[in-house]
Amino acid sequence: MKAARFAYERPKSLRQAVERLGDGGGFVKLLAGGQTLGPMLNLRLVQPDLLIDVTKLSETTGWSEEAGAILIGACVTHAMIEDGKVPDPTGGILPRVAAGIAYRAVRNRGTIGGSLAHADPAADWLSALAALGAEVVLVGRSAERRVPVAELSTGVFSTVIAEDEVLRAVRIPRLSRHARWGYYKFWRKTGDFAEAIGAALHDPEREAFRLVIGATNGAPLVLDGAALGVSGSALPERIDMAAIGRALDAHGFADDDYGKAVHLVAARRAIERARRT
Amino acid sequence: MTSGIGARVLRKEDDRHLRGRGQFVGDIKLPGLREVAFLRSPVAHARIKRIVVPEELRGKVFTAADLEGVKAIRAVSALPGFKPSEQPVLASGKVRYVGELVAACVAPSRAEAEDLAERVEVEFEELPVVADMLAARAEGAPLVHEQWGDNVYLETFVKGDIATAAASAPVKVTREFRTARQCMSPLEGKGVVASWEPRRDQLVVYTSTQQPHIVRTGLSECLGIDHGKIRVIAPDVGGGFGFKGILCPEEVAVAYLARRLGRPLRWIEDRREQLIATANCREHHYVITAYADREGKLLALDAEATVDAGAYSAYPFSACLEAAQVASILPGPYDFPAYQCRTWSIASNKPPILPYRGVARTGVCFAMELILDAIAREIGREPHEVRQKNLVRPEQMPFENVTKKHFDSGDYPECLRRAVTAIDLEGVRARQKRGEADGRRIGVGFSIFCEQAAHGTSVYAGWGIPMVPGHEQATARLTPDGGLELRLGIQSHGQGLETTLAQVANEVLGVAIDRVNVVHGDTEYTPYSTGTWGSRCMVMAGGAVARACQEMKKRVLAIGAKMLQASLDEVKLAGGEVVGPAGSVSLAEVARTWYLRPQDLPADVDPGGLEVTTGYKPVRDSGTFSYAAHAAVVAVDTELGAVEILDYVVVEDGGVLVNPMIVDGQVYGGTAQGVGTALYEEMPFDEAGQPQASTLADYLLPGATEVPAIRIEHMETPSPYSEFGQKGIGEGGAIGPPAAIANAINDALAPLGVEVTETPVTPRRLLAALAAARRSAA
Amino acid sequence: MSDRSTISLTVNGEPVTAEVEPRQHLADFLREKLLLTGTHLGCEHGVCGACTLMIDGAPARSCITLAVACDGAAVRTIEDFDDDPVMAELRAAFSAEHALQCGYCTPGMLMTARDIVTRLPEADAARIRVELSGNLCRCTGYVGIVNAIQRVLKARAGNPSGA
Repeated sequence: MKAARFAYERPKSLRQAVERLGDGGGFVKLLAGGQTLGPMLNLRLVQPDLLIDVTKLSETTGWSEEAGAILIGACVTHAMIEDGKVPDPTGGILPRVAAGIAYRAVRNRGTIGGSLAHADPAADWLSALAALGAEVVLVGRSAERRVPVAELSTGVFSTVIAEDEVLRAVRIPRLSRHARWGYYKFWRKTGDFAEAIGAALHDPEREAFRLVIGATNGAPLVLDGAALGVSGSALPERIDMAAIGRALDAHGFADDDYGKAVHLVAARRAIERARRT
Repeated sequence: MTSGIGARVLRKEDDRHLRGRGQFVGDIKLPGLREVAFLRSPVAHARIKRIVVPEELRGKVFTAADLEGVKAIRAVSALPGFKPSEQPVLASGKVRYVGELVAACVAPSRAEAEDLAERVEVEFEELPVVADMLAARAEGAPLVHEQWGDNVYLETFVKGDIATAAASAPVKVTREFRTARQCMSPLEGKGVVASWEPRRDQLVVYTSTQQPHIVRTGLSECLGIDHGKIRVIAPDVGGGFGFKGILCPEEVAVAYLARRLGRPLRWIEDRREQLIATANCREHHYVITAYADREGKLLALDAEATVDAGAYSAYPFSACLEAAQVASILPGPYDFPAYQCRTWSIASNKPPILPYRGVARTGVCFAMELILDAIAREIGREPHEVRQKNLVRPEQMPFENVTKKHFDSGDYPECLRRAVTAIDLEGVRARQKRGEADGRRIGVGFSIFCEQAAHGTSVYAGWGIPMVPGHEQATARLTPDGGLELRLGIQSHGQGLETTLAQVANEVLGVAIDRVNVVHGDTEYTPYSTGTWGSRCMVMAGGAVARACQEMKKRVLAIGAKMLQASLDEVKLAGGEVVGPAGSVSLAEVARTWYLRPQDLPADVDPGGLEVTTGYKPVRDSGTFSYAAHAAVVAVDTELGAVEILDYVVVEDGGVLVNPMIVDGQVYGGTAQGVGTALYEEMPFDEAGQPQASTLADYLLPGATEVPAIRIEHMETPSPYSEFGQKGIGEGGAIGPPAAIANAINDALAPLGVEVTETPVTPRRLLAALAAARRSAA
Repeated sequence: MSDRSTISLTVNGEPVTAEVEPRQHLADFLREKLLLTGTHLGCEHGVCGACTLMIDGAPARSCITLAVACDGAAVRTIEDFDDDPVMAELRAAFSAEHALQCGYCTPGMLMTARDIVTRLPEADAARIRVELSGNLCRCTGYVGIVNAIQRVLKARAGNPSGA
């Protein structure tokens, strides 16, 4: 199938893009790499009136440092992160997650911000960055705001981003030397959409513990140390898996034996990996 | 170095593809070309109440009412009791599956044609849907074809005397098996470019097919146009595997409209159409009871098999070929005395099915080989030992089995022994005892099968489908510069026939293979053929080329002898030259003399010339039987239901190999497809008949990390019936893997009481089986 | 809003200026407008990899890349690699290892293969398989393809100048 008709604009600045978004005039989508939007356009699952291409804007393609964090432009590609072409405040976590996204040809064009804004539950960044405590920087007509990635998605393909906002950058906090990380993705085949994702971060210097379970039927499930009885500077030998199971039940897996099983395993293996690092 | 039979010659067809200069149907552009998009049914079963084509779309959108004089596609079978279906080119009255064609929309670009399709309104009155073959077989099921009174294309029964064994056999094992519906998924889909050429008063149809002549016959029947007014060209074809052995309604519609509109039209199937709307394959259900003695020797087999053949009988293979084959080949490579089998070919509200690489053999091998493993577990023997009790032995060859299949040659027990050694069964057993550090469970599994190929008239006449293969023909023509043209009605779409048929010519005539031009895939230039299917080309077309070249050799020698002023018995062909007692002449000199300097030849030269068409049939046309043993080692992650193939061995006997490199390629590729069947590929439908996999993100094809580093060992037992002892071997790779892999999984999980019996073995299915085993143990 | 846009880019080294419908993907633009049919369409969902080509020196999916978004880009298709030394080695290796059958996936496969050879000279068979995971082949079972890439990597490792 071929895409339905739409118009295309490439604004010269982020401000122009934001203003154009606010003009109304039908169904407008932002193009930020298009590696997931492209197939949906081709299948006519999305039929926008206008596509605004923000991939080449200087505001979305660079990076900067601020206190305790790196800000990565929304249209930095997965491949740039994989190749270490942007500073990595996580001690190697970002490149490893990036390298596991789909295929190299997709990573060459797909972007970190595009992936987050698209909010496919099976996407890596949504879960990984939520676990890392990252925030997105959203630019609107009158103001800029920051939202934790853990609170960004509200369901499948849906986010808290307002219609006239653009995701400009991702703020990724610098991890301490003692941070421990575990990431486990279960997929049927390499490069395929994930069946289940577990992401666990234990950073004793910043906060105790965060576990994110992704590739759910909606927003990722984010559990902090308090929910799992993890506190202090050491990762306990046993995590309360039953509590994770109850959280999964409450997150839509009560009647899905398979889904619950594989998500529990992904969560446990992510924690085990964090413990081993 | 020789480049004849047995040589590992690099392929003549590679260079154009490696430079992006292949020409596939989607690459063909004709002046004034318009694109066609089809409006397809969104529902599985409904009456069409009304089709509203907006007035401004008249002349651009066509429905069944516009197809004047176009006949439905009818693929009958002569098997008694077969109920034929009428497959309309565009739906009229009723739709019977999601994706059935409703209207053809013509525009300058495909995107615009799809825009038109969105503006056509169809009012449906939905009917109850039957999307499962067992439900379709049941009394009171909704009827796909009302006039039939049931949903059974054909029921067959092979009666056997199983009563004695049933009463006395000490071991009785019953199992139910299912294999999922699949899409064959060549990388290139179907596609057609059609134009009416006034100069020749001829319809020219480029189409992505394995059977150009059969498509021509089908078009002639549907359109009521003489064969001579239709030319079908198969350009480079991007994979077939059976998917392109069909006359598609799209081909008929596009051909008709091209003539009617007087301009070239093109339809290129996209992936979504291929997955949801074009023909599927492989959906079988079995209930089998095996009777055996305590050593595992089979005493009798009692089977029921159901095949979901979908809404229409596809042309030319029909809706019953699959189940009819099941009945005849279920006994596999084994020798046992009593067999009974009942089969049903069922109509459902799903796309038609086609024979996919391996045809019924993949399902049959899965069912039979899993039953043998179940017997082995029952009596506490190694599965290969049970097989050895039952395999046909080499001294029995040629062997007629319980269904009168005539196995031509081979050593099946040795094949299995080699597989057992190659996979290191002892080593795997030791490793299983040690256990895995990562907690996964290791298992080893085997399958062995034989593959009837290149079977001809004597086999197909009984089935009586629209095409019964007879003599395969080839034309050989020496050109004035000493080059050789071979013209064949088969079609090469990856098998490398442009190379291997040239090797056959080289073997007979000594002509260098880069001087051989293999012309195929064009009805205008080639003799009639049923095309490329059933692993038949190397036996049938190879044999035909050999015969044509042998006849050519006689004629070349006759002319050469005259030129050398020698007698016929004094000359021979050697190194591409006619050699006489006092000199030699090259093929080029012979040809140049014949065509351009006839004055140099005496008047009494044979006037037959240097163009030869001959027909060929093997000594027996009941088929060559290649065979193979597959062995797999898997690791099963019982927490996730994930299966990794750690090792995979194929021991294969394809008779005399014309080009070992190409045969290996066929085995590797077939095995990779079999891995897909075993673990990944499935086209599910919901109760409303809606297909649940419409992209390659849902329909999982194995990639480079899912296919193991397959190891191949060859045996080489010549067939006594083919020209050089070669056997058809194109499909075999795809037959063995589901059985070997499932047996390996069952071997790994036997201690947990788990036995899988359905393909593909997905994590979801495996976790469900593990949970069920835990429940029943508790 | 206009339903046509004008783009300027280079295709296989030649400057091209053309009017395109924004909805047209790059593969269709190349195939239908420029008649560069070596870039094949296998799925149009970005999964199969048959349409892989080079944009600004990196492999990309042309079926999910809009032509209109390639304004200013340098695009290279399989037709542009006749004289490319790495591709020449890959062509010879693909033929010698029987890494192609029907040829439909081959142009995209070669693009990815070239990326592996130039970006990951140390890749072993396992890494090659992972890197190939975005290019589906239905004919070869990947055996010949993996072998062909390994053959080129080995030859280049023994001859680092690449000459």
